Amino acid sequence: MAEQLLDQIRDVAEGQIDFEGQKLVELLVNVTLALTAVVAFLVGYILQDIKLALQIGLAGTALTFVIAVPPWPFYNRNPVKWLQVGGGLVPPQNLIIDEKSFR
Amino acid sequence: MYTSVVRLQNVFGFFTTVAFVVAAFIAASDFVAERAPIVRTLKTTSVQVVRGRPHYYSSKKEEYAVINFSLDADLSSLFTWNTKQVFVYVTAEWPAADHSTTNATNEAVIWDSIITSPSADHLANHWSRRHEEAAQERGREDGKLVLKNQRHKYKITHPSGKLATTENVTLRLHYNVQPWVGLLTWNQDVDYGYWKALKNGVSKRFKLPAIKEKKPASAGSR
Repeated sequence: MAEQLLDQIRDVAEGQIDFEGQKLVELLVNVTLALTAVVAFLVGYILQDIKLALQIGLAGTALTFVIAVPPWPFYNRNPVKWLQVGGGLVPPQNLIIDEKSFR
Repeated sequence: MYTSVVRLQNVFGFFTTVAFVVAAFIAASDFVAERAPIVRTLKTTSVQVVRGRPHYYSSKKEEYAVINFSLDADLSSLFTWNTKQVFVYVTAEWPAADHSTTNATNEAVIWDSIITSPSADHLANHWSRRHEEAAQERGREDGKLVLKNQRHKYKITHPSGKLATTENVTLRLHYNVQPWVGLLTWNQDVDYGYWKALKNGVSKRFKLPAIKEKKPASAGSR
C-alpha cells in the first residue's frame, strides 16, 4: 500500500514521457520560444516600447515552461510496449546452438 | 526530455540563448535609428575668475572660473525605445600652455544633467523628477533643453592654480546615451551611418577675465 503510494508520488515528480512525446516537446519548446522572441522584438520595436517587449518575452517563456515541464497526457500517447516479464516467449522446438540440441 | 527536471533544464537553457539573441537585436536596432542632435544656442552669459581655497583648511589659493551659460539644444532624436537615459554635460576647453608642442587641451566639466527616458521614469532621482515636472510644464518634450543663464554646477580650476586671462576658451556640449541593452555611446564629431555628428556643439571662443577683486569684507557685516 505504502509502496504503491510512493510509486505514484515518484511518477508524478519525475514526470516521465514516452519517446514520441520527447520529440514533440522538443519541437514545441523550440517553436514557442523562438516565436516569443520574434513577437517580443517586433511588437517592442514597432510600438517603441521596451517594457512591453520584456513582458511579452517573459510571458511567452512562462507559457513555454507550462507547456513543456509537466507530463501532459498528450506526451504519453505512444507508450513503449515492453516484452512480458518471464514468459510469453517459447523457444522453438528445434533450436540448435553449438551443435547441441536444446531440450 | 524524459523527466520533468530535464525538461526544466532544457527550456531554461534555450531561454537564456533566446534572451541573449533578442537583447543583441535590440542593441543592434540602435544603429538603424536616426540620431540628429542639434544645438541652437550655446553661449556664456557671465564669466568671472575668483580666488579661493580648494577646501576650508587649505592655505593654498587657487583661481576658479565661474561660468554661467545659455543652452538651447534638441537632443530628442537620441531617445528611442532602447534609451534609458542621456547624460548631458557642458565642458570648458582651452589649449594647454605648451599646446604648440604637445597639442594638449584642458577640459573641465562645468554643468551636467541626467535626462531620463519615459521608460525609465520609475528610476528617476529627485533632481530629474523636478526636471520631469518642468518638462511637463513645457508640454513634455524629451531631450529638448532650454536653459537661460544657467548657473554653473562646478567651479573649475587648473592644477597650476592659474586661470585668469586664459584665452581661446570654448564651451562644448557633450552627451552620453545610456541604453537599456547595448553599448554606451558618446557625442561624435563625424557622421556614422544614421548617427549624425552633434551640430553646433561648440561655443564661440572667449577669454577669461582678470581676477575679480573682492569688496572689502568689513562692509555691512559686523
